Amino acid sequence: MIPSALYHQAAVANYISAEPLDVMSLFAQAHHENAGAIVLFSGEVRNSHNGKEVVFLEYEAKVSMANKMIGAILTEATERYGLLVAKAVHRIGKVAVSEPAVVVITAAGHRKESYEANEFIIDKIKHEVPIWKCEIFADGKKLWGGNCNCH
Amino acid sequence: MKIEVFAALKDYFDGEFEVTTNASSIEAVKAILVNLQPSAIDVLNTCRFAVNDEFIDNDFQLQESDTISIIPPSSGG
Repeated sequence: MIPSALYHQAAVANYISAEPLDVMSLFAQAHHENAGAIVLFSGEVRNSHNGKEVVFLEYEAKVSMANKMIGAILTEATERYGLLVAKAVHRIGKVAVSEPAVVVITAAGHRKESYEANEFIIDKIKHEVPIWKCEIFADGKKLWGGNCNCH
Repeated sequence: MKIEVFAALKDYFDGEFEVTTNASSIEAVKAILVNLQPSAIDVLNTCRFAVNDEFIDNDFQLQESDTISIIPPSSGG
């Protein structure tokens, strides 16, 4: 029998989702009475890459590692920026054009910390966490990885 | 030794497979994989390695019972 506390922990540490992300539901959970600024970033699927039409993306993750790492990133950001709320969820599986692939929400007393922490979190997720995108193009070809212009 | 690969590496290998070896270093395992699939060398050279959900350094001593995860560069977001 698993103690209920562990169930709770497992439920909380679920930063990877195979189901569509409900952005507004996540946002609704991010309010805090001491927060003057909530920043919500939704990373969404673009319909093109280098001029080629993208039909959809397929995301894969090493889920156990990704969950641990995103949890650690949120903890680090919370400590570094004094966040009141820090949330992040990344999709795996097929994600259609204009659907969110990743959502990051940060709440703090003031907007500067919220903005900076949000960028800190999404940068780390993109560059460090074992999650991979595969772009599926209109001509049927696919391309793993890439598409990051922030280096 | 169990190996699991992800993303672009699955164009070259099964997602999970076993190799019989007493190799104890990342470099030795990488050499075995390149021998199996020479065209995977460029991707393999960009990868990080992990055991038990933790990234490992080049000097990590692998055990026969380990499951080695080969992690291509992240491309989430």
